[in-house]
This record gives sequence, C-alpha cells and structure tokens, in this order.
Amino acid sequence: MSETAALFSAKAAGHTYGADDTAVVAVRDVTCSVMSGSRIALTGPSGSGKSTLLHMMAGLEQATRGSVSWDALGGHPAGRPDQVGVIFQGISLIPSLDAVQNVALPLVIDGMPYEEAQERARDAIGRLGLDALAAKLPDELSGGQSQRIAVARVLAAGPKLILADEPTGQLDRAAGIHVIDVLIETADQLDAALVVSTHDRTIAARFASRWTMHDGALTSMTASNEDPIDRTTE
Amino acid sequence: MISIWLRGLITRRPGALIATVAGVTIAVALLASLGSFLASAQASMTVRAASGVAVDWQVQVAADAKIAAVQSTVKSAPGVTAALPVGFAQTSGLSATTQGTTQNTGSGVVLGIPSNYAATFPGQIRFLTGARDGVLIAQQTASNLHVAPGDVVAIRLTGTKPVTVTVAGVVDLPQANSLFQTVGAPVSAQPTAPPDNVLLVPESVFAKISAAVTPVHPELVSHQLHVARSHALPSDPAVSYVSVTEAAHNLEAKLAGAGRIGDNLGASLDAARGDSSYATVLFLFLGLPGAVLAGILTVAVANSGADRRRREQALLRTRGASPRLVARLATAEALLVGVIGGAIGLGLSAIVGAVVFGSASFGASPLSAILWPVGAFIAGLAIAVLAVVLPAVRDFRSIIVSDARAQISRRRKPLWMTIYLDYLLLAVASIVLVITTQAGYSLVLAPEGVASIQVNYWAFFGPGLLWIGAGLLTWRLSNFALSRAPRALTRFVRPVTGNLAPIAAASMSRQRSLLSRAIVMFALALAFAGSTAIFNSTYQQQAEVDARLTNGADVTVTEPPGSAVPPSAASSIAGVAGVKSVEPLQHRYAYVGSDLQDLFGVRASSIAAATSLQDAYFQQGTAAQLMAKLAAQPDAILVSAETVKDFQLHSGETINLRLQNSVTKKLVAVPFRYVGVANEFPTAPKDSFFIANADYVAKMTGDASVGAFLVNTGGQSTDSVAASLKQKLGTTASVVPIGAARSSVGSSLTSVDLAGLTRVELAFALLLAAAAGGLVFALGLAERRRTFAIASVLGASRRQLRGLVLAEAAAIAVGGAIAGVLLGVVLSQMLVAVLTGVFDPPPTILTVPVGYLLVTAVIALAAIAGAALLSARESRRPAIETLRDI
Repeated sequence: MSETAALFSAKAAGHTYGADDTAVVAVRDVTCSVMSGSRIALTGPSGSGKSTLLHMMAGLEQATRGSVSWDALGGHPAGRPDQVGVIFQGISLIPSLDAVQNVALPLVIDGMPYEEAQERARDAIGRLGLDALAAKLPDELSGGQSQRIAVARVLAAGPKLILADEPTGQLDRAAGIHVIDVLIETADQLDAALVVSTHDRTIAARFASRWTMHDGALTSMTASNEDPIDRTTE
Repeated sequence: MISIWLRGLITRRPGALIATVAGVTIAVALLASLGSFLASAQASMTVRAASGVAVDWQVQVAADAKIAAVQSTVKSAPGVTAALPVGFAQTSGLSATTQGTTQNTGSGVVLGIPSNYAATFPGQIRFLTGARDGVLIAQQTASNLHVAPGDVVAIRLTGTKPVTVTVAGVVDLPQANSLFQTVGAPVSAQPTAPPDNVLLVPESVFAKISAAVTPVHPELVSHQLHVARSHALPSDPAVSYVSVTEAAHNLEAKLAGAGRIGDNLGASLDAARGDSSYATVLFLFLGLPGAVLAGILTVAVANSGADRRRREQALLRTRGASPRLVARLATAEALLVGVIGGAIGLGLSAIVGAVVFGSASFGASPLSAILWPVGAFIAGLAIAVLAVVLPAVRDFRSIIVSDARAQISRRRKPLWMTIYLDYLLLAVASIVLVITTQAGYSLVLAPEGVASIQVNYWAFFGPGLLWIGAGLLTWRLSNFALSRAPRALTRFVRPVTGNLAPIAAASMSRQRSLLSRAIVMFALALAFAGSTAIFNSTYQQQAEVDARLTNGADVTVTEPPGSAVPPSAASSIAGVAGVKSVEPLQHRYAYVGSDLQDLFGVRASSIAAATSLQDAYFQQGTAAQLMAKLAAQPDAILVSAETVKDFQLHSGETINLRLQNSVTKKLVAVPFRYVGVANEFPTAPKDSFFIANADYVAKMTGDASVGAFLVNTGGQSTDSVAASLKQKLGTTASVVPIGAARSSVGSSLTSVDLAGLTRVELAFALLLAAAAGGLVFALGLAERRRTFAIASVLGASRRQLRGLVLAEAAAIAVGGAIAGVLLGVVLSQMLVAVLTGVFDPPPTILTVPVGYLLVTAVIALAAIAGAALLSARESRRPAIETLRDI
C-alpha cells in the first residue's frame, strides 16, 4: 500500500435503488477520493445522494455501476471497525446495552475479549469527557448524548476513516455543534480522515474540503487552506 | 373515516390483523368446543342413565284400588309405553329337599310376573341357567336351598298351607334394590338390603298364592304396575330429571291416591345430573385456563404492534384527532378482529364438534345451546377489546410518544412484586387445597330428590390462584435469574453466542421484562398442556380401573351357581390363544351373625397378576401388603369397613363365619383372622363382602369349586379371546370381556368418554404452547430489527446475529420448560385432589402420558427455534434499509 493511496476512491461510481420502472438513481457517475487526514463536509439538499455516497464509502451500499476501492484500508471495510467507523443520523445505539457496552460492541464483534473491549470503551468515553454517561442506557440519554456515545464507539475502534451521516440532523443547534466538536477532536486523536454529510452551512464551513451533491452527482469539490480545527468554537 | 382506517389495516397490516384474529379464534373455538363436548357428554349421560334403569316407574297400587283401572290411567299417561302388573307376596320361608337333606330359608318374597315381563323389562332379570319362563329362583336363594332347575320348592305362607312349585330356571336380579323398594318411603325408611329369598312365579301361580293369603293376611299381598317410559328425553340430565319427575307427580295427581310412584328413572337421572354438574365444573377447570391463555396471547400479539400504534396515534394527534376518535377507531378495529375471530372460532368448534363429538350442537339444553356460543363469542369480543382498545386509549391519554418508545429502561419493581402477591396467592391456593381435600368436602352436592344442585365454587379458587400465583412466581424467578446471575447467564449463552456472551447476557438482563413475560407464557402453555394431558390420562386410567373392578379382569368367566368347577379348569382356559394367565376366584356366601355376605376365596400370591388391585380398595395397608398378609396366614381375612364397625373388630381378632360344608350341606363355623379392610374388590358387590384364602376355604368346607376365572390377556384382543372362550366353554359359563363393562359402569362420570375432549384440548394445548413459544419473537421484533441492523453495520456476522436470538430462545425454552413442567405436575395433583369426586375409584398415582408430553415439548421447542430462526432472517434485510426506517 503506497502512502499516497486513497482510503476510498470512486470512479464513475453510481448507485440505483430498485429496478426497471421503480428504479431510483441515488448516486450517479461520482469520481472522488478520500485521502488520509482529510476533513470533508458533504453538502447538498435532501435526496441529493449524500447518505448513499457515505454508505458506499462505508461499504454498506454496493456501487451498482462504476467502481469503488479502499486501497489504503486493504480492501472492503465491512465488519472491520478498526478501518471505518460510521455515525448515523438517527440513534444507532442498542437499547438493551449501556453506553460502555455499546461502545465495546464493535470490538467484541471483531473478536476482542469482552473485558479488554470494555476497558477500551471506558477509555474512549473518558477521552471524550463522557464518563457521567458510561452506565446509562440509550433511553436515558438525550439525542446529543447518544451521538457523542456513537462517536466514542468510533474512537474506541480507532478507524482510519470516520463517516458521519448528518450526525446533527436530529439535534438542536448547541447539541449539534458539540457533536461536531467531538467528531473533529476524535478524528484528530486518531489521525483519521473525516467525512461528514450535512445540510448546515455553518458546520460545513468548519471543514477544509466541501463537496456538494445535487441530484446524485458530485457537482463541486472545493478546498480551503485553513486548518478546520482552527474554526472550532470551543 | 372508520372505513378508511379499517381498509388501511386490512391492506397494509394484514399480518398483525391475522395474528390477533387467530388468537381470538383459538379462545372462542376452545370455549365453544367445551360447550360442544359438554352437550355430547351430557346427552350420553342422560342416555346411559335412562338405559341403565330396568323399570322406569314402579306404581304401588293402593290396597283398595282396582288394578285394571290404575293400569288404564297409567297407560294413558304421556310418555308411558308399557305398564305391566306385578304381584308381591310375603312368604314366611322357603324349603326344599335335595339329595336327602332339607333346607329351609327365612322369610322371602314371591313375585307374580306376566309372561311378557322379561321381554318388556330386559334389564330386570338376568337368566343364569334353566328355562326362561315358569318358576324362576334367585341365584342366592337357589344356593341357600341347594336347588337347581327341576327341583321342587315349597313356599310357606302365613296362615295358610304351603304352595309347592317346580323350579324352571335360576336368575339374577341386578336391580333388586329398586325392585324391592318401599314405594313412597323416604331413603331412611327403605329396606337396607333386598330380600335374601326370592321366587318369580307366573301370574297363574301367583293368583293361587294370592287367593290363599289375601283372605287371612291381606297385608302380605300387594300389587305394583311396572312402567316403561319413552326414553326420548332432553339431552341435559338435569332437564330430563325435572321433566320425568314432573310427569311422575302429574300421574300421581291423576291417580288420586290409587297409586304411588317409585320413580327409578328420576332417581337415575338424579344421580346423572350430579355427574353432569361435575362434568361442567371439570371442563371449566380444564378448559378455562386454555381460553384465558389464548386471551393473554392475543393481547400479547396485539401489543407487539404497540410501536406502530403509537406512531399512528402520533400522526393522528398531529392532525387533531380527539381521544374519542382514537377510541372509535380502536373499537372498530377490535370489533373487526372480534367478529371475524369469533365467527371463525364458532365455525371451527362446530366442525370439531361434528367430527370429534358427532354433534355440532353447543349445548345439551336449548338454553345452553345458545349460552355457550354466545358466551364464547362475547369472550372473543372482550379479548379483542382488551387487546386493541384498552392499550390505544391508555397510550393516548397517559403518555407522550417519546416516552412510549422507551421499551428498555430502569423500571421500578411492579407493585405485585413489592407486596409479594405471588407468594400470597400460592399460600391461599394451598389453604384452599387443604380445605377442599378435607373429609366431608364435596365439589358437587346434588341432594337426592331436590331439583337444585350446589357446586362448591370455592374449589375453583385453588387451581385459579395456583395458576396466577405460579405465573407471577415464574416471572419473579425469571427476572431474578436474568438480572442477578450475570455470570451464570453468560455461561449459559456462551455455546450459541461465543465471545459475544457477556454482551448477549447483559442485553438479555436488560430485556428481562420481555423475556420473563415470554417465559411465563411458554410455561403456562406447557403447564396447560401438561396438566390437561396428565389429568385426562389419569381419568382414563381410572375409568379402565373402574371397568376392571366391575368386570374383574380383561375377560371374566363366571360359572353358573351350583356348578362344581375345580380350580384346575383354569389350565383349559389358559390354553386359549391370547390368554396370558388365569386366576380362579371362589365365590361363596357366608353368614356373619345373621347377615349373609359374599365371600371370595383368592390365591393371594398370584391374584394381582390377573386383575388390578388398587391401594384405594383397601384400608390398613396397601394392596400388596394385604395380599402378602393373606398369603402368609392361611386363615387371614379381609372384611368390609361396615362389618368392622358393626362387629367391633380389631386387627388380629378371630371372626367366625358360617359356610356351607360341601359334604353335609350344613353350615359350619369357620374361624378366620381379621387382618384388614377391603372396600372394593374385582367382581365383588358394592356392599359388604369378605376376601379370604381359597385354599383355606376349600379345606374348611371340603369344596374347592370356583365361581369365576379372571383371565388376563394383557389388555389385548379381549373380545376375540372372549369369543374363543365362549366357543370352548359353551353356554354353561358366562364370558364377559372388559369392553362390556366399559360401556356399563353405571352413570358415574368415569363412564363419559373423555377421549374426544382429550383430543380437542390436547390439540389446543399444543397450539397454545407452540404459539406462546413462537410469539415471543413477534413481541420484540421491532426492537430486534433495530438491534440487528445496528449490530450488522458494526460488523456482526449472520452467525453472531443468529447466536444473539438463539440465546434468547434458549433462555425462554429452558426457563419456560422448567417452570411449565413443575407447574403442570403441581396443577395435575391439585386438579386430581380437588376433583376427587370425579374419580371412582380415586387414583393412587398420576398417570403421565410421556409420549404426548414429549411430542408437545418437541413441537413447542421447535416453534421457539423456528420463530427464532425466522427472526434471525431479519439480519438478511439490508441493515441500512432498516436503520433508515428507525
């Protein structure tokens, strides 16, 4: 694997849901690369294909045309939480597990002994300053708290690529800002690339690169020289 | 709006709707099937009670009334099909001289019967030997007088010369008690036993006797009209009883003092209606828990759609729906479910009734034929309302949507757990059990001659509270096991979850409320299946014991009285194909004081091999112990409890019986040693009798002749063995297979064939157990879908996801099976204890139908495993698609 290899790259990749009369093209002819350490905000109106593209990056959706690859990750990242971590728009914690167990889950699934995974999970929660939430159940957490625990889950696994699909979509503004802070902090701690899809221009402005999607196509890819971390509010 | 809503439900949510309808269907079908069975059982009880009566009415003609006039009035009464005059003359004694010795008996009765009497009342006279007409002598009298057909008997008459007659045949009078009743007298004034000496003479002979006696002692001659009635009676024994009793009262009124009616048919129906009430109570005991369980399952099915309902309610609210509209929509849904489920349930039970019970009717009387199906239908509607309307209204009024979504959180202990309601209910159930099993307790009281029947409804509390208490206790223990024993739980689930075991255990611990509910439902369904099966098997077993007690063995060969068949004749019977063993049984009559009783001489060491001796037949020891005592001590004897009381006997005391010596034909005193009490014995009469060693009796009387041979065929081919024996032995001996006894064991409830009900109930039990097992996964499906999707995107393999579900399935299967088996056994024991009156004789131990229970367990476990694996198929659905829906 060369040092310049992309974590993810797509060539004329597209994704269509359904077939024939009911076919809906969600992503069309996208060519892009996500490099190590990137900070990318993926913007665009609802239904523009942001989530689908993110899911393709995570290996959760297949490219129905074109090609995708994860050269720097050593292949398809499915089932490898130490390669790609995903944060979803909705609450993605298992309701019957407390915060520590939720954070430890991908590690245990990956084969790590439970005790060690728990230790890593507590450490990740502590690093994000969420110790007070460690023993709480998802139903006892607010939306923002849940998303931060989801971020801790990513941190604990230590992936090289973090993908967040509208992580602030169901949160109020303050909670949203807090979640983005934690996400960027985590990516920095892990030295991982971070791709966040968002509607929010203010949030997008905090990222060095901003990709815009429209009707399934990647219509613009702009980059800023400024370090996005400098724009944090806290 | 309502029609749009219902159309939407049918087109968009057919699965949930069908599941709820299925639950209502099961409950309604089960209840209505019970009604069908009850109708068929009650009808068969009425038929049996009526057919078991030899003479329906005995009309005692007043001394000053004209027989022909009374006969004419009786014949014209509605329902009367025949009325024959019978004369009764008291004799001061009978005497006969045979083989150079003269035997005299004490007082007796001479009956004058018309020539067509035996044909009109076939149950009254059983011909044993000799001719079927002419002078007939009762078996015991023939034995007392040592006479056989062809011998001459002198009838001594008070105040006039004896009349001599020639015996034409020997008969048995199976219904002597009712034949010689004092018509119109209360039970306490009835004779304690029928007369020992009875002669049946043709009308012409009786006329001679009557002409001689009447002028000097008119009080010694009386007349009765024996009446046969149409047996086209209402199916319900209670209704039949009332109708027959009213007809008897009506006739008595018409007779205006010229006759009083001994209502044998009414008395038989009187006993049957008590059994009928037992049947009703019994089937409620057995069937109601199943219907309640079906209701609970339906509510649980409906609750599995709670998330959907809450989301829909949230939408309705945003569009300004009022609580009233929500209630109306829910009511419409409940009505749809209730009416469809109820209709299918009634249809199903009608089919079940027609196929299994031979009748699609729901009740024995017109009222119950309406009440059962209507009641079952209403119960179905009530279940639908409980399942659909109540949760909808409660949710709408009391919670906000976000709260409603919180399925797993730290909840407070429920109130019942805090106040230990489970322990309390079990304690009260135990107390009720103790009370209801005390001596003197009777579940059903049907006082003779009184139209009303009392059912001791307190008895319902025992099993009822046990059901609820045990269900709650199972819940408490499941909760405890899931929450307080994480290490044990982790070890338990590790085989299916691998290194995810701690996560699976933690998740299950948090979902303990859901899992405990599933364990309780599964346990209750298994307990229902188990207790029903065990009770029914025990019941069938006791019916078989009853038949064996009545018949004596698989096949019984009864020798005619006076015959001298030696015990060695057993070897010739043993040679018949299908016979496993043969046991000779002596039958004698012995006087104890002035009381004449049956005496049975047995081979104590081997009798148990040919017939079933239940411990319940004996006192002061088990069957085996008392037979061992007899075997060890030649002069040992078992006597009836009544004799022990009458003669103040103490164990080990000598009791002298007078038995006839075969050589001198005189009664000789034979000393016996009293060692125990026999209440019942195969072929023995219901009242007092003796059991002694055959060899000792033979030695002391010089007579080893056998009264009957008990033939053991191992329960197989009894009819064909009986046919072979009949062919071999000719007409001299009476050969009766057990099948004949099965169909004639009185009007007791054991005579009702439970096979149909058993099949229906066990099928429902199986269905409920399987449904309870499978339903569990429907309950948490929405939650599980979400968990699967999340675990899947986090990298879990299908095997890991399947392991998580199987861990839950294993917990439910193991927890439910343990609790279900325990509860099933305890419930069976309680049912048998509370319903002791149903059994005749009471069972010594429960009969466990291992095969059925294993099949039930396998099917129920397969249902759980199947549902679990189906649930695991959810993991095949793209996780992203699922997450998008959440």
